[in-house]
Order: sequence, then C-alpha cells, then structure tokens
Amino acid sequence: MPSWDEFQPFIVTGLALGGVYALSGAGMVVLYRTTGVLNLAFGAVGAMGALISWDLINNSLWPEWPSYGVAVLFCAVVTLAYGAVIGPALAGRDALVKATATLGLALILLGTMSWIWSDKARSQVLPTSTHAFDVGSVAVTWTQVVSFGLGVLVVFGTAAFLKYTNLGTAMRGLANDREITATLGVPVRWVEAQAWLVSGLLSGVSGLLLSDLVGLDAVSLTFLVISSLAAALIAQLRSLVVTFFAALVVGLVSAMASPITSISEYRNMAPFVLAIVALLVISRKREISFAGTGLGNGRG
Amino acid sequence: MKRYFGSKRGRSVTTLVVVAAGLSLVVAACGGSGNKESNAGSVVDNPKCGNGNGEKPTGTPIKIGGIATKQPGTDFSDGVLTAKAYFDCVNANGGVNGHPIQYIYETEQTDPAQDAALARKLVETEGVVGMAGGFSLIECDVNHSYYEQKGIGVLNAGIAPSCWSTPNSAPVNMGPRYSSDGAVQAVIRQDVDKIAFDQSNVPGTGYIAAGPKIVADAAGIPIEENTDNVPIQDANSVAVKLTQQAGSNGAVVLNFTPPEALKILQAAQQQGLEDSVKAWGCSTPCNTDFLAGALGTKWDGKLLVNAELNVTDFDGPDSELYRSVMAKYGQDVTGGLGSFSQMGYLMGEFMTNALETVQGDYTLESVNEAVFNLKNQETDILCNPWYFGKNAPLHIPNNVDWTSTPESGHMVIKEDCFEISEDEPDIAKVRQIEAADPSLTGGEAG
Repeated sequence: MPSWDEFQPFIVTGLALGGVYALSGAGMVVLYRTTGVLNLAFGAVGAMGALISWDLINNSLWPEWPSYGVAVLFCAVVTLAYGAVIGPALAGRDALVKATATLGLALILLGTMSWIWSDKARSQVLPTSTHAFDVGSVAVTWTQVVSFGLGVLVVFGTAAFLKYTNLGTAMRGLANDREITATLGVPVRWVEAQAWLVSGLLSGVSGLLLSDLVGLDAVSLTFLVISSLAAALIAQLRSLVVTFFAALVVGLVSAMASPITSISEYRNMAPFVLAIVALLVISRKREISFAGTGLGNGRG
Repeated sequence: MKRYFGSKRGRSVTTLVVVAAGLSLVVAACGGSGNKESNAGSVVDNPKCGNGNGEKPTGTPIKIGGIATKQPGTDFSDGVLTAKAYFDCVNANGGVNGHPIQYIYETEQTDPAQDAALARKLVETEGVVGMAGGFSLIECDVNHSYYEQKGIGVLNAGIAPSCWSTPNSAPVNMGPRYSSDGAVQAVIRQDVDKIAFDQSNVPGTGYIAAGPKIVADAAGIPIEENTDNVPIQDANSVAVKLTQQAGSNGAVVLNFTPPEALKILQAAQQQGLEDSVKAWGCSTPCNTDFLAGALGTKWDGKLLVNAELNVTDFDGPDSELYRSVMAKYGQDVTGGLGSFSQMGYLMGEFMTNALETVQGDYTLESVNEAVFNLKNQETDILCNPWYFGKNAPLHIPNNVDWTSTPESGHMVIKEDCFEISEDEPDIAKVRQIEAADPSLTGGEAG
C-alpha cells in the first residue's frame, strides 16, 4: 500500500478529473431535467470541438483563444441544432428512444472524427498547463485548478440559476410536467433550446479541458461521458449538488486506485461500480423510472 | 413544429443549423489538409525498382498475397499499401523478368475464422504463389499451420508470437516483446537501479512482459510490470504511478501505441515529472516524428526509443528509394513515412528479390523455394542484412537495433546498432543459427 505522501498527487489528479466530470454531469442533468433527453453524444461533441481547436491551431495556425472559442461555439451549435431538429420529433417518445437517438449522433461524430483526423499521436496543451505551482511536494497545474474551480462554479451557479431566475423556474417546471408547464404559457421549445445550448457549451468546455487532462483522442473523449453519466445517475439525474459530489468521488476513486497494484487495472470500473451500488441503495428506498416525461414518475 | 420554425426564434435556430453545417465543412476541409506529413530526406523523381528499365512488363502476372488488420483503432493497411506501392514501382520498371506483379491483399478484423478463410481464398481461389504482408494482430497464430502445410514462406510484420517462433514465418520487424527488450537494455545502459514497465492491457501482455523481465533479471535490476486499459483515461495518474514506482534513479519503459504513449509522456511533462526518474524508454511504436513533434523539445535526448527500423530521413540508398517510392506510388498510404510503410517497402523489396532468382515458371513451389533461400538482403533500413533462414525452426532475422530519441520535432539516432539480449532464449537460438551459417547475414559461409 502506498504511503500518504505517495497518494497526494493522485488526490490532485482525481479532483481535477472529478471537476470536469461534474461539469459534464451538470450539462447532462440540466438537459435531462428540461427535455427528458439523456445526451450520450455529450462526449463526442466535446471531442470534436477539441479536435477542431487543435486543427485550427496546428494546421491553420490560428491563435489559441479564438480557436478554443470556435470549438466551444461549434459544440453549442451542433448540440442546439440536434435539439432543434431531432428534439421536437422525439419529444413524445420514451426516454430510452431519446437517449438511443443521441447515441446515433455520437456514432456519426465518432465516424466523422476518424475520417477527418486519423489516429495519429497529437496533443493539446492548454495555456493554463504551462504554469504550475507546488502544494507540498505535489505540482498542480492551472488546468487542474480551472477544472475543479469550473466544476464548482458551474454546478452551484446552475443550481442558483434554476432556483432564482425565470428561465430556471421554467426549466424546473418542464422537469415536473411538460404539458402543465406548456398550458401555463411557458414557451416549451424555447426553454428546451436554452437547455440544449447550455449543454453544448458545457460539452465544449469539458472537451477542451479533458483533451489536456486526458489526451486528445476521439475515442477516449467520446467515452469519458460514462464517468459523468455515472455521477448523474448516482444523483438520479436530478440533483446538481449530488452530481457534483458523486463526480468528485468517481474522479478520486479512479485516481487513487492507480498506485494500488492489486486493483490498479480495475480502476476504470469505478464509475460503473459506484453507480450500481448507489442505484441499488436508492432502489431499496423507492422505485426509479427511466421512462416518463422528464423525471422519474414526474416526481421531482 | 411548423409554427416554431416559422417564428423568429425558429428562424434563428435554423440559422444556427446552417452555421453548424458550414463550420463542419470548414473543419472537414482544414482537417483533411492537415493529415499529410512532409517527406523529410532526399527523393528521386523516377525511382528504379527491380530491373529498373522503365519498360512495361508484358508477361503473365505473378500473383502475390497479403493480409492486414483494419478495424477501428487498429489499422495496419499502410503496410500492404506500401508493399503494393513497391510492386507498382517494379511494374513500372519492367516487372520481374518481364512479368508484372499482381498484389492481392485482404483486410481482416481479428476474427480467426475470417483470417483462416482469407488465407485459403488467396492461395486456393486467387492462386497467389507467395505471401508478402502478414500485417495482422492474429494471423500468424491462426494461419501458420496452413502455410506450413502448403509450403509457403510468409514475409511478415505481425504481432502474434507465432510470427517469430514458427518455421514458415520470417518477419521484417521484431515485434513488441523484443522491441521492449531493446528499450529496457537502453535504459539499463543509463545505469538505472529500477524499472517500471507499462503496456496496454490487451491479450498477449504476459508474453510481451516476460521479455523485459528476463533482460532486467539478467542485469540484476528489479522491474515492476504494469498494464493499463486503453484508451487511457487518466494519464496523469498513470504518469505519477510509474515515476513513483521507478524512483529517482530508476527508469520508466512504455510499450504503447504512439497516441497512448504520448498521453503518458505529456502528462508527466505537465506535472514536471520528466526529470523525476533517471531515464525514459519506449518500444518501437514511439519511433515516429508524429510523437516527436507532439512532445516538443523537453524530451530531446531524454526519451530512449528502441528503433527496429531506421529513421525515415536516413541518408542511405535504400532509405532514399523508400522515400521516392512513397512519393511517387504511395499516395494511398495515409500514415506517410513511418515504421509500417518501411515494413511494407521491405517486404515488397525482398519478395521482388526472391522472384528475380526463380528459374522457369512462377509456381507455389518455385517462388517459396526462392523465398526460403533469401539471405544477405542488405538495406540501410535495418541494422543487419535480412534473411529467411531455410529449415530453421524459428525466424527473428531483425534482432539488432538502434536507439532513437526526439530532437527538435524529429526522431534521430542516439545509439548505434546493438544486439537484443541473448538472455532471451529464442534470440539465443537465432544467434546459433546465424553462427552456423554466417552467409545468412553476409559473412563467409562455413
């Protein structure tokens, strides 16, 4: 078993990854609460945004920040376009159908990325990674700080937004009951479009951060959505605060299992194991429904 | 829905869709143009392969076969495409004794039944008389018995252990186990006191890891073996884990594909860990300018990469011909200059040399007799002359390597040719075979 000193760097990496998982999880939960769509293309959209920024910087010789801006814009527009074109057509369908449709988008994007960018080695180093500071004996990059800080900011900022703004109230209304909210005069599709837009923006930011923290690789970034999904499921796709803490636990457990040789190679199972355990515990208390109008059994 | 899209908000969403489509097209265009790497080193406009007479061959085609893995995440088709490029060059220069070479290659998706069927299709349906290009993850294991039964000597560049341990397979590469051995030997020469070895968690890792352990044990250096699932999702943790295991006077040795190795090296660099161990090593896949370019200059001279093939910009006649063939006939090779295309080139070259020695008709028997008799194939892409080794129980003709390292975005040779350790039992057997017949590698016959 490693010593406490040896564990410390893994806490830093775990918190940074957990922060981005929380960011992604927040995007997924907000979208699900508003539209009833579990967006499995979240990672693929972010991956494509990250590859676009890499291409603009390295092949078109664009400056870094405008390239990152284009990447995030691309993710927002693609996600919004999906929500505007496919979303209404599937609005009345089962949640499983909606989720499967986003998987289709993920596969299309994955294929497109493989077609445009071959699987050659490439890396994306954000400007925040060129500076680091020491906490004890551990070097901490500013990307890690930003990842964690942005996770905190987005999760708690979004929670406040949902609670204190008109749009947030409308989103919460949709989460409770779409039909009743519509009859109250809330422009349902406009509210949904805002949710798609926010989700897209968050996927773009998450993709950029993960391309630095994890690596610029379409497949890895696409399927990292699983860790965020696990956090969202632990929160029953409902509570942003629980999503945040669940994401941190997923990140920390995955990272801190690395130096323990006997379980190291199983650490990628951490998101699944944690999600399954949480769901089993929750299911002992009440029934969870994946179908319906947005949230389990309309409760919410 | 109609009212929504007819509304002001609907129109703005529609506009955004159009913008997204436009962005996609722009990205596709710039991405497509960025994939090609520049060809470094000299080239000639009209490469001379085979007879080099520039005439069109008019004889009956000589059919040669090849099989390559091509599936998401693992695409070895550059190998067969480069072999085809070499044969195209031969055909543009008179062919072989007036006969053009018809190269028929198949791609497979690591399905044993598919591999078995493809080999039989090539030999029994297509009527190929020789096999140049086993670029597959599993084909050696699946088909070596069939090739032995048919008397076919296969020029390989595989991954499976049977590529190096069976009588009818002679690879131009040395594979992940012996290449990892070479990387371990390189870091041992840096006087390290511990090694952390890490590789992807895929079938066959036990076979590969056994090599570095043999080499490290023989040197009296402790080695910790790790596997990590790919694609790696927590490179920072992996980098920290490995450097902690190795310690400040130790070494980290990686056996991954370039994108995965890059993740670990990049993570180490961001966390300031590149100097926390005494040496870093990597097996042959890291010997690519793509990796050197992506890493930047911090790893120059620090990362020791086992190079079972020479750097692609080497100033030598065969390397120049390789680059020239690639420039004129290798447009379909998506990866450009690199290890896989070098291997395909060598297979094309060696098979052509074998065909040129055939007297009479080109049959399965005559062609493979010529293949088995291949020896002293001099090329500056390999350290030692290549040979097949007739009647040998196993073949590891590529058993002497360079060590390369990044330098300003390119890989350069850091250590001249050195022998892979004879502590490896099969390498020791091969050295005995070479000692018994020095003519295999250009020496005087005993």
